[in-house]
Amino acid sequence: MADTAVHSSTTVHEHTHDDTATGISNSKLGMWVFLASDCLLFGALISTYLLLRHRSTHGLGPTDVFDIPFTSVSSFVLLMSSLTMALAVASITRGDVHRNRVWLASTALLGAVFIGGQVYEFTTFYREGLGYTTNIFGSAFYTLTGFHGIHVTVGIIMLASLLVMSLRGNLTRERAEAVEIVGLYWHFVDVVWIVIFTVVYLIP
Amino acid sequence: MSRRVRASLLAPLVLFLASCAKDAPLDSLDPAGPRAKSIDDLQNPVFAIAGVVFLAVNLGVLFLAWKFKRRKDDHTLPHQTHGNTKLELGWTILPALLLAGIGGASVLTLLDLEEKPDDSMQVTVVGQQWWWEYQYDVDGDGETDITTANDLVIPAGRNIDLDIESRDVIHSFWIPRLNGKRDAVPGRSHPLQMSADEPGVYRGQCTEFCGLSHGYMRMRVVALEPSEFEAWQDAQLDGAEMPTDELALEGREIFRTTCSSCHLVEGEGGNEDLFEGSAQVSGAAPNLTHFMSRGTFAGAVFDLWTDIDGNGEVDIDEHGDTLNEAQLKAWLRDPPAEKPMYAPTRGMPNLELSEAQIDALVAYLETLE
Amino acid sequence: MAIAESPSDALALPSGGAIAHRPMGIFGRPRAKTGWTSWITTVDHKRIGIMYGAAALFFFCIGGLQALLIRAQLAAPGQKLFSADLYNQIFTMHGVTMIFLVVMPLGAAFMNYLIPIQIGARDVAFPRLNALSFWTFLFGGIFLNTSWIFGGGADGGWFAYAPNTGVAFSPSHGMDFYALGVQITGIASLVGAVNLITTVLNMRAPGMTLMKMPVFTWMSLVTQVLLLFSLPVISVALFLLTFDRLFDANFFNVAEGADPLLWQHLFWIFGHPEVYILVLPGFGIVSEIIPVFARKPIFGYPFMVFSGIAIGFMGFGVWAHHMFASGLGPISVAAFSISTMFIAVPTGVKILNWMATMWGGKLTFTAPMLWAIGLVTMFTIGGLSGVSHAVAPADTQQTDTYYIVAHFHYVIFGGALFAFFGGFYFWWPKVFGHFLDETLGKVHFWITLVGFNLTFGPMHILGLQGMSRRIPTYRDGYGFNLWNMVSTIGAFTIAIAMLVFAWNIVRSYRRRNTLPKPGPDPWDGRSLEWSIPSPTPEHNFDDEPVITQFDDWWYRKYEENDDGELVKVNEPEDIAMIGDGSRAHLPSPSYWPFVLALGLPFIGWGLIFNMFITAFGGALVLAGFVGWALEPADDPDLPPHGHDDHGTADDPNGDAAALDAPATEEEVTVGG
Repeated sequence: MADTAVHSSTTVHEHTHDDTATGISNSKLGMWVFLASDCLLFGALISTYLLLRHRSTHGLGPTDVFDIPFTSVSSFVLLMSSLTMALAVASITRGDVHRNRVWLASTALLGAVFIGGQVYEFTTFYREGLGYTTNIFGSAFYTLTGFHGIHVTVGIIMLASLLVMSLRGNLTRERAEAVEIVGLYWHFVDVVWIVIFTVVYLIP
Repeated sequence: MSRRVRASLLAPLVLFLASCAKDAPLDSLDPAGPRAKSIDDLQNPVFAIAGVVFLAVNLGVLFLAWKFKRRKDDHTLPHQTHGNTKLELGWTILPALLLAGIGGASVLTLLDLEEKPDDSMQVTVVGQQWWWEYQYDVDGDGETDITTANDLVIPAGRNIDLDIESRDVIHSFWIPRLNGKRDAVPGRSHPLQMSADEPGVYRGQCTEFCGLSHGYMRMRVVALEPSEFEAWQDAQLDGAEMPTDELALEGREIFRTTCSSCHLVEGEGGNEDLFEGSAQVSGAAPNLTHFMSRGTFAGAVFDLWTDIDGNGEVDIDEHGDTLNEAQLKAWLRDPPAEKPMYAPTRGMPNLELSEAQIDALVAYLETLE
Repeated sequence: MAIAESPSDALALPSGGAIAHRPMGIFGRPRAKTGWTSWITTVDHKRIGIMYGAAALFFFCIGGLQALLIRAQLAAPGQKLFSADLYNQIFTMHGVTMIFLVVMPLGAAFMNYLIPIQIGARDVAFPRLNALSFWTFLFGGIFLNTSWIFGGGADGGWFAYAPNTGVAFSPSHGMDFYALGVQITGIASLVGAVNLITTVLNMRAPGMTLMKMPVFTWMSLVTQVLLLFSLPVISVALFLLTFDRLFDANFFNVAEGADPLLWQHLFWIFGHPEVYILVLPGFGIVSEIIPVFARKPIFGYPFMVFSGIAIGFMGFGVWAHHMFASGLGPISVAAFSISTMFIAVPTGVKILNWMATMWGGKLTFTAPMLWAIGLVTMFTIGGLSGVSHAVAPADTQQTDTYYIVAHFHYVIFGGALFAFFGGFYFWWPKVFGHFLDETLGKVHFWITLVGFNLTFGPMHILGLQGMSRRIPTYRDGYGFNLWNMVSTIGAFTIAIAMLVFAWNIVRSYRRRNTLPKPGPDPWDGRSLEWSIPSPTPEHNFDDEPVITQFDDWWYRKYEENDDGELVKVNEPEDIAMIGDGSRAHLPSPSYWPFVLALGLPFIGWGLIFNMFITAFGGALVLAGFVGWALEPADDPDLPPHGHDDHGTADDPNGDAAALDAPATEEEVTVGG
């Protein structure tokens, strides 16, 4: 858990996150900083989508393909995963390793359901005639939601890694911060989806 | 002269400037129209202020270097000052006020430049790789009546309302002595107002990088006396007549068989009946109906007429005198050798014409007045 | 860990490509201390900084040769030394190289080396990410340059305006290399930004509050924040371009209804902050050099800091001034014209504060000081021509002419590069333990100054006379001849100056043993890096320094009485650290950053040529990730150091690192 800050021999064993200048551990601060950057990534992608979605000269448009009830359900699933993620963090902070496994697994599962929904949605749109290269809306839509899907997938891989760690007995209360950091990422990805769902699906 | 000196305040090389003052047909500091003039009037004080600040900072640094240089064997330490808030606030606020003033003046000029007088003449300017097309709607019915290329012919003293468009990539239309530049963006139409005080030829160069031959994409504005302009316009409205000369007729046949996939000549003597549009990405090649009325060809890279008075510039009154036949033939012989092009998709390919065919084609082109 | 050994023990370690313990690295970490493997596996911020500098200077030679080719072609009207096609590739790659592979990494070199030793840290927050950042940059740069052997360099300009960069108009692979290569170097910068921001915020020694940090560290922090927020935008733009070119997407396809201005907005939202990313580290360097050689503190430290922050902040609100001729409409143009005006204010504050620092000082004109003063004067010229661009109507005459070329070379060469050269002369003894030759340094400076002004000064005139940028030749009779010839002569003068610099490096290295040793504090410096031996020992600080004020090191040597007069209280040699690393604990080297980064160019080549190559690259990246995650926090086979073995106790097998996000996994594997 140590960072490489210079520490004198007398303080070595008290050495925890708190001896960073901000009191936040390097890893957590690093994640915050990375997420700040990621905001701009999605900002640029969403702006691109908004600028382009009605510019297609032909082919299917947003109103032709979107199935709002279906996507609402999958959005709800993703939202619920934020809840289970929060529970996972809470349980490991208490040192409850077993509950923590349950919540980690549920979060990953809910995330996987969401990704499954996205795969289903993409296939349906494609069958209806909206390919990636069909028109400008197709390119913009698949790129934006695809980037989000990749983010969720990465999150699932991180959750799975935590789960493996936990099963091997390495994810204990002392390591609660690892769960917390993955949680930060996961909540961020959820919040981004709320914005995307609103902007892409709900606002005509 | 004085403009040049002012410009030199930024580049401290005043001495040579006088010597290079002449022969700069693209000189943005030598305005020949009201809009270029108002830009010039705006930027000259800015250059002057910049020059003063430049001198102040550089002389200031030299002064500091001279005044506070540590003398040998002076090992004392200077008085330690950490800052002076009032002073620093001062040199934060003063420049801000100065810049606010410049900003205000800029905005006023900016709005001024967009103003369109009621008697404006509308011309659509279309950029493509690597030449400019001009479309005139003479009767105002929304249909293009005159399509020409390279030379934008305008009446002097009247405002021209340009709509700048593009058929392929982004270009930029810039006649430095008449106004600033405006990009030609595909899918968009950008207005630009322009007028010339006096009759004359005003040169320009595409200023947005547009691919391989960007450097060879030039243009001219030819400003005529209003009466001459009327005459020019009337002549342009006519189609080409059937040539009478034997060689020219032969040339017409070659034109109809070889050139019709890209070039249009309207009228009885042309190929309107065969014209099938263009095989090019950019969508067109120049309309050649009144080829001989122009001063340049191949994207205004080459002069169509010989420079009789030898001033390096083919003037308006040199039109129609001596054809720059050598260059025109060289062009027909192998265009990509004369100007970089991605022939045949973008630009004119080498058509493998024989010398006899070239002679005949030139004879035909000479009839397109 | 090994640093903990005393020097005599260290000698006993295997050296020169030591056989790595457990070559897969899964349960071990590389141990070579010398030889090329030690460089490949290093996570030491100093070595990484040196490699950044060396790689950037290598690319500087390439970019410089391209500049000479450009100037040779333009020396006289109508020349055809090479074709328009090749010319377009050369000016594009000149810009890409100089911006992404020279000036940005030179900034990274200084930041990597200096930030930890200026804030009293032993390394950066994420040492392995730091290594990843460097290797990714290097492989990205190599990838970009392999375009020359795979069908030609990028030919759409570094700004790559759509739709000219689409397949229809740029059918060679050049723009693919551009889009993917700049993307790869962007990953490097993003990783670096996360790392260095965390480092500055978290790794400061006790007492080093933000407002006691050296100005260079401050400017680096602002630079990294700018990178953090601007890189994702160019990333998106490059993704869209890549998808358009490789997968037939329609983002910039006008026939499908696209608006080419989208690219310009995305590009310049990155591109304008990028300008400050290039020059702010230079501003920081100058703010370190001038006080030392004026023997006075920086004038108005808070103003210097806040003006830097203001530049960074406002840098995001001015991007559309690159688009005054793009047809945005008068309202947008007016707004961006005004905002651009005001960004000149904090820049002006900096210039005046540097001058005020010199005022009343005892100036010594060493080579670093000459370069710093050179920056103050030359950057001013660039700043002033910048104000004339902010005057939007005037900018419609100036933009895309040589006037702009003059402007940004005065800003980037006269700003960033002058500072970097000054920084080389200033910190060379700290980095390598010997001085660069002062006389040659001054010769280098004066020849550069003359050549620089000869090259770029006349471009102001050429631009106002109407010479467009990016034209492979120009017509006789436009009045361009004389100044182009002068400019070409100037360019070759700069080349001579750079040969002097190269000779200086070689000569000083050869004589390093016979020349006087610099000692810890050769310039009577002010900030913490001068309190440690030269060259910097691997562990930086023997003990954690405790900071009480800005310019702490200076005030340990001098005390200021009530009249502001200084009294020397300590000799630097007496109070400097001696380089005893016995109490230090350092992160272990690692193979995996190199492996991971190595995969990226293969992914790029594969996307262009063959998906199997992509699979190979992807496998390398994956191997890098897995190895990274599984390797132990410390080499388990080195004897745990007496004071400092908690790391292995915390994390016996490194499983904790099995997370996928590098930023996360670092947590358990760095250091302890």
